[in-house]
Amino acid sequence: MSRKENRLPIRKQTAWISARGWKGAALTATAALLLSGCGQSAGAGAGTGPEAGQTGASETWETKDAASGASRQDVIVVMGPTSEPEAGFDPAYGWGAGEHVHEPLIQSTLTVTTPELTIDYDLATDMNVSEDGLTWTVDIRNDVKFTDGEPLTAADVAFTYNTLRDTSSVNDFTMLEEAEAVDEDTVVFHMERPYGIWPYTMAAAGIIPEHAYGPDYGSNPIGSGRYMLKQWDRGQQVILEANPDYYGEAPKMKQVTILFMEEDAAFAAVLSGQADLAYTAAAYSDQEIGGYHLLACRTVDNRGFNLPAVPAQAGAVPVGNDVTADLSLRRAINLAIDREGMIDHVLNGYGSPAYSVCDGMPWYNEEAQVGYDPAKAVQLLEEAGWMPGADGIREKDGLRASFHLMYPAGDSVRQALAAETANQLREIGIEAVIEGVGWDTAYDRAQSEPLMWGWGAHTPMELYNIYHTAPGSGLAGYSPYANPAVDAYMDQALAESDLEASYELWKLAQWDGETGVTQDGDIPWIWLVNIDHLYWSRDGLAVAEQKIHPHGHGWSIVNNVDQWSWE
Amino acid sequence: MMGPITQRRKGRLAQKLQLHNGIWGNRRKTAAVLGAVCFLVLAAVALAGWAWREEAAAVDFSRKNLAPCLRYPFGTDWMGRDMFVRTMTGLSLSIRLGALTAGISAVIALTLGLASAALGKWADGVIGFVIDMVLGIPHILLLVLVSCAAGKGFRGVLLGISLTHWTSLARLLRAEALQVKESQYVKIARRLGKGPWYVAKEHLAPHLLPQLAVGLVLLFPHAILHEASITFLGFGLPPEQPAIGVILSESMKYLAMGRWWLALFPGLLLVLIVLLFYAAGNGLSSLVDPGQAHE
Repeated sequence: MSRKENRLPIRKQTAWISARGWKGAALTATAALLLSGCGQSAGAGAGTGPEAGQTGASETWETKDAASGASRQDVIVVMGPTSEPEAGFDPAYGWGAGEHVHEPLIQSTLTVTTPELTIDYDLATDMNVSEDGLTWTVDIRNDVKFTDGEPLTAADVAFTYNTLRDTSSVNDFTMLEEAEAVDEDTVVFHMERPYGIWPYTMAAAGIIPEHAYGPDYGSNPIGSGRYMLKQWDRGQQVILEANPDYYGEAPKMKQVTILFMEEDAAFAAVLSGQADLAYTAAAYSDQEIGGYHLLACRTVDNRGFNLPAVPAQAGAVPVGNDVTADLSLRRAINLAIDREGMIDHVLNGYGSPAYSVCDGMPWYNEEAQVGYDPAKAVQLLEEAGWMPGADGIREKDGLRASFHLMYPAGDSVRQALAAETANQLREIGIEAVIEGVGWDTAYDRAQSEPLMWGWGAHTPMELYNIYHTAPGSGLAGYSPYANPAVDAYMDQALAESDLEASYELWKLAQWDGETGVTQDGDIPWIWLVNIDHLYWSRDGLAVAEQKIHPHGHGWSIVNNVDQWSWE
Repeated sequence: MMGPITQRRKGRLAQKLQLHNGIWGNRRKTAAVLGAVCFLVLAAVALAGWAWREEAAAVDFSRKNLAPCLRYPFGTDWMGRDMFVRTMTGLSLSIRLGALTAGISAVIALTLGLASAALGKWADGVIGFVIDMVLGIPHILLLVLVSCAAGKGFRGVLLGISLTHWTSLARLLRAEALQVKESQYVKIARRLGKGPWYVAKEHLAPHLLPQLAVGLVLLFPHAILHEASITFLGFGLPPEQPAIGVILSESMKYLAMGRWWLALFPGLLLVLIVLLFYAAGNGLSSLVDPGQAHE
């Protein structure tokens, strides 16, 4: 690789101000001028184009592309700015795990999740758990080297897990008491409490080298994974290079460049042919771009809102809501949601109906599925005594069937989903007043008012986090709800040492025939849609088959970038 | 012999004057008419937007992303909201917010201006210092800070703009008040034993009213632009509010897709409203400012 190639693969952006773009550019400039008010500049906001400050750029990739598409062994991928890991590529500070679970690429993991979201091995060769679920014994490969040439041993694994337990604020490692290397290639995990889904945690924890770990590890990561970090220009791009000594199948893509751009800039980058694969949103899906096609990936990236399931209680943080505490009203809401209509309206057809937080996962209970039935919803409401008031909104004992439906300000898709929900609920006489809020207040307010959330992860722990009661309050953490039967199933699932058997218990927690969190149960959360992750993909780029993407429209797409190729 | 000619001349002159006065009046009259028209248009926009506030929030996905047409002169957006109605409601909100903030700013400015003159050297020093200090901070920064601290939203914007826009007017009124304070009749009043507040109320305030009125009207466009910019930057009104700043910042995303109407019409109307306020302010200024009375 010549030095020139190391540089930013972006040309000076002229194509953006062409064709239909010119109107946009002119208006952007006008509006920016207008809004600056009193001469003192209003600052950033308008200038989101990727051209800012990127003038000296290489055109290497382009010449390569022009010469022959098939000979390329590199790919340029565009992600959103929030996908850039703030603390670098350090698993202890959320790399690979946290809210948006993905494979850490630079580091190896003990296990991996399969396309069906069951567990397979990466570094591990064998795994046993004791009867009481408190001791996990894992054998690891002994032929693995870090990219600095040092061998990866059980001591590194133990060091990694103990470090994660001590420092990690992003991941939950409270169930781990101690990781211990008993010999070169065997590591034993002593647990504080049974945690049957430990292999799913292993799939997201990249193994770090004990000898090369320090405060600057995040920006100089050494691992044993498929790729090595070659260059990181903060705020702009990350360049990954294939690990020549990788123990598994050699990556087909030798170089992966990740650019971080806002949605409109990513679109502009595709319009001018500067990216091979760029994330996009449903709002752009009706556009046609020559040389690119739209790639839609199935996800469990769901959107739904909580319905506080207990009556209002006063307190420093108000908890509960008298309207949504009514079970019939919650059931009626779930029946009155036209999910297909929502997908057509808001997502331009790119999505699938969501009935739970874990649709399509091995632990998903299909009993959660429910049909759109506004007539039955009305019947439920009337049976429960909710009668139409003067303005068409139902009332019961002087209580109006009305609540605020919050959404995170700045998330246009959630805003549209909230607005569409309000439209649909008005049909059955329930009023939802939509309100944009910041995350600084949203968590507290969600204790008493519905909020449009996004969830979806490759671990059943998500069910636990949402529906299981938290110690202390006796209510679930994100939205007040409690059901001892549901709690008990999930506790049993965590205590179950056989993963397959635990899936069944997770399903029972959702609906066991009598109680649960679905339509005929307590229905404390309403799930609306799973949002397809959309990408503009250059014709000729063969993106390997994707697992169901979790929440977070970022690194998941490159989980298997080593298997991508050019046709 | 001279008589008839003079008569004729006089007649012609009178005719000319009459012509001049009749259609356009003198400049003061023109200004008054223009100002009144501006005021009426602004009031009409404010009222219309207020009346349409329900329709402006209505989301209808069956009519999303429509280009301007007869039924929707400004087109519709990605949630099927009628952009004409949204723009009018946004402008109405801007005008109402502008009225409130300009009013509060003017009251602060008047109070401080009068206090500066009436309470003596020491108070004047303190007030001068405060004015300089607030003027010294880039006010978009202070605006963002105050708005965030007050929890954003309508209240945040209201407080933010009110607390940052009184300084220039306060300085002007202070200077004016100090000047009037030195005049003979004020000195006589003091000698006659009238207290500082009596003097401020009876003698200084009436003198400051013309400046106050003009300053107030000229604060409007300022306040409106700042409401739009702070909301545009994401520190102001929430995104479901039909406010001009919200409309413009949302439209940015859709410009690359060729949906030019989302930004063009609201942007142009914002400029128009601001220009109307300037025209109204200038009209008022030529009416009440003694310095321009001879025109």
